Amino acid sequence: MKQVLEGSHAVAEAVRLAKVHVISAYPITPQTHIVERLSDYCANGSIQARFLRVESEHSALAVMIGAASTGMRTFTATSSQGLALMHELLHWSSGARLPIVMAEVNRALAPGWNIWADQTDSLSQRDTGWIQLYCETGQEVLDTTLMAFRLAEAVNLPAMVVLDAFFLSHTYEPVDIPAQDEADRFLPPIIPRVQLDPANPCALNQLSPPGVYMEMRHQIHQAMEATLGEFTATEEEFQRIFGRRYGMVEAVHCEDAETILVTSGTITSTSRQFIRDRRTIGEKIGLLKIKLFRPFPVDSIRRYLKKARKIAVIDRNCSFGAGGIFAQEVRAALCGLSRRPHVFGFIAGLGGRDVTLDTLAVIHEYIQTHDRPDAESIWIGLQEV
Amino acid sequence: MKSKRPPLKQIRMPEKLLISRSHTTSEGNKTGSWRYLMPRYYEKTAPCSTTCPAGEDIGRVEMLNAQGFFKEAWETILLENPFPAVCGRICFHPCEMVCNRRQFDEAVSIRSLERFVADTAQRYKLQSALQPASRHKEKVAVIGAGPAGLAAAHFLYLLGYPCDVFETLPEPGGILRWGLPRYRLPLDALTPEINRIQQEGVSFFCGKPVRHDFLESAGETYAAVFMTCGLGRMPHLHIPGEESAGVSGGLDFLRAIVRDAPPVLSGTVAVIGGGNTALDVARCARRLGAEAVILYRRRRQDMPAFAEEIEMALAEGVELMELCAPIRIDPSEDGLRITLQQMKPTTLDGDGRIRVVPDTNQVRTLAVAHVFKAIGFEAAEPWHLPPGEPENLLKLRHAVLTRPPKGIPVVYCGDPVTEIQSVVHAVASAKEGVMALDVLFRKGSRAITEELSAAATGPGGALSMECFRNGERASRSPHVVAYEEINIDYFEYAPRMVQPRLLQSERVASFTEIDLKISASMAIREAERCFNCGLCNQCDNCRIFCPDLAVLREDSSRGRRIEYDYCKGCGICVVECPRNAMVLEEEIDS
Repeated sequence: MKQVLEGSHAVAEAVRLAKVHVISAYPITPQTHIVERLSDYCANGSIQARFLRVESEHSALAVMIGAASTGMRTFTATSSQGLALMHELLHWSSGARLPIVMAEVNRALAPGWNIWADQTDSLSQRDTGWIQLYCETGQEVLDTTLMAFRLAEAVNLPAMVVLDAFFLSHTYEPVDIPAQDEADRFLPPIIPRVQLDPANPCALNQLSPPGVYMEMRHQIHQAMEATLGEFTATEEEFQRIFGRRYGMVEAVHCEDAETILVTSGTITSTSRQFIRDRRTIGEKIGLLKIKLFRPFPVDSIRRYLKKARKIAVIDRNCSFGAGGIFAQEVRAALCGLSRRPHVFGFIAGLGGRDVTLDTLAVIHEYIQTHDRPDAESIWIGLQEV
Repeated sequence: MKSKRPPLKQIRMPEKLLISRSHTTSEGNKTGSWRYLMPRYYEKTAPCSTTCPAGEDIGRVEMLNAQGFFKEAWETILLENPFPAVCGRICFHPCEMVCNRRQFDEAVSIRSLERFVADTAQRYKLQSALQPASRHKEKVAVIGAGPAGLAAAHFLYLLGYPCDVFETLPEPGGILRWGLPRYRLPLDALTPEINRIQQEGVSFFCGKPVRHDFLESAGETYAAVFMTCGLGRMPHLHIPGEESAGVSGGLDFLRAIVRDAPPVLSGTVAVIGGGNTALDVARCARRLGAEAVILYRRRRQDMPAFAEEIEMALAEGVELMELCAPIRIDPSEDGLRITLQQMKPTTLDGDGRIRVVPDTNQVRTLAVAHVFKAIGFEAAEPWHLPPGEPENLLKLRHAVLTRPPKGIPVVYCGDPVTEIQSVVHAVASAKEGVMALDVLFRKGSRAITEELSAAATGPGGALSMECFRNGERASRSPHVVAYEEINIDYFEYAPRMVQPRLLQSERVASFTEIDLKISASMAIREAERCFNCGLCNQCDNCRIFCPDLAVLREDSSRGRRIEYDYCKGCGICVVECPRNAMVLEEEIDS
């Protein structure tokens, strides 16, 4: 059934369909609409879940860890400072191999206080062992959230569904909401591989000396690599039931493209328009949308980008002193190729600044007029200060 | 969105998750050895229970009510006060004035809940399971079957003394039966309370006035006498015209109504006095079709009547004339003419009341059809009062114990010896007298003060039979829980229940009881508002929050205990106890 939904509510609908057992979250703009809707659902019985009020995001994720350790399907959501506060427990969740699902609404970190879109919050958690899935549309948000549960439970790793503040979280779009029986077919009840059981008491996650720790870490890494295959298998099953799939990356006109824009999140939609416009005047330009950031789909990225001459990675984030984070990852992915394109790293749209067709035109012109970039990262649209 | 499937690395999830997991018990790690602070369950005193003159364990009563244990709640009251149906209606509830909940939103409606349990017990004809603590041979005579005498009989039963009660009037009850109008205390609420005391094995001898010489010969049959004769005589106004036709006593008027022989009234009736009886007389007069005006020589705030009663009387159309003293009454053509001297307030009296003096020349007259006198009452006979200052006289808080040199102990209880004349004070008085007598019999007079203070609920001095009989709740600390000691994070704002009542217009139309019954759900909701200050109500927070799982459930009245082998003394249980029923103390190495 199609409904016009806010991106936040698309998340909430997916969580409802996933029949989670435990939800806990602490409110933070722009995430709050997600858990507001979920708390309504818990209160009116649409979801048979325990909604736990907590005093901080740190506690929210601690609750998730506790609940998931008993084999429950769990969900939380946060943004920005809230995610940063969870940092310690982000590592704990993956180390404990708990398939927790989180909606992460990309918001800039303070100071200065800013509640608008910026990916630095989620990207600075890239090494915590969480699967990261970036979304472009309301429909993709719903579908990805539903898939995230299945994926996380298949590999026993936590998964983060990432969506842009306001451009996605607060924007209304028509979204096809699956029927519950279809959702159930796609996502059967969790079969936990970690489950505390009073009948067979045990302690989890205690001291792990050097003799065993490294193997445990290696297994997490293996699970991340296995996630690539599981992701595709999950999407295939999703497509079989719902007729939709997204791919870990999506290539648009990359086959013959000399220049390829690399994007994530809602900038992708604007870029689609830009590519279409340029293609109509005969330009060989393409677009690669990266959906799966962790694990990083190196093979797919190489495959689609290797033939191009110039790659323009647009980052709504910055690792200070190293530049755009997607750009770094793309460069690293391509560096093993014998003949590789020049990678231009552009930083745009930080703190919710709009990335429009005009912004993309500036980027495009830079690529046209430069054989190679002048700097590791090129900041677009900076004003005189 | 079509894309060819990229080649996948053939990586499979391993069968077994590598996470650290231990099935070895951690019980060998006795974390209790880290402790230097020690939590323990330590119940304390609720402000209501130390303020209630009868020392009712209100926190526990409301806990039981909230849990639906109405019979147990009723018995908890009965242990301290044989009149829940009476006090649940007419008590001036000082308990509610000190309720900690007042500082949060509004006081718990303790009186309405007391009446609710009494109504419930009556409706289901519950039999109290209270038993005497022991059995003694000493037989006691009680003179007077008013609130103090009946309460004395009940407490004598609880401590194991047989007793006979002598009453001048044809039926027991005293002021409860003859002096309280039915719209405040219906007969069918009073009768079961008296019947219950009768079922406790008390013999009533009604219509048997006791003479002064009874005290001299009582020793032949009895080991002690309780004097609970009350204050039955109307003092004189000492003004001209007091003996005119149309001037009569307020108590006689109330008795006539109870006997179903009320006088015919019309026009305006003046009631002289400022106590509860004056208000009752005025309100009864309204119900008999008269206009009523209360003449009081001081101001409204100085009236000994309870504020709530004054308010309700005024709402019923009773007029109050303050600062006016009748100085003469003259018969007139159509009734009586009262001459009133206007008074003015000056300084405070020794007892804290304002002193009033005539406001010179300010005199006026008031034409009325009838005058009722309802000023402070006196003892009917001088020997109803304790003797002046003989030897062997022990003045207690609410009672006087005498041991005549040749004779048996005589205990004076009730209105003649209490500071405030109320039913609950009569109960407190009787309880104190019975306890003192018991100590006298069992341990001698020197032990009385000490034994009684051990039975006090907190610093308020209210005595508890539960403590005196060394029951489970005797171990509570006398520390009175302050509002600041309540963890209010665990409570939500909830308005105090509104006592349902007859419509204003219905009240003066009959003698039907004004306060209506409340439902069990309403009562439970109201009881749940109680903080249960200082009392473990088994909320289980201590157990839920203990990070060491060192609070264990067990089959005891508290239902849980601390396993000190593992308690680290972090104190979380004490902090998270919503009602200060625990304490954290430094552990002294022995």
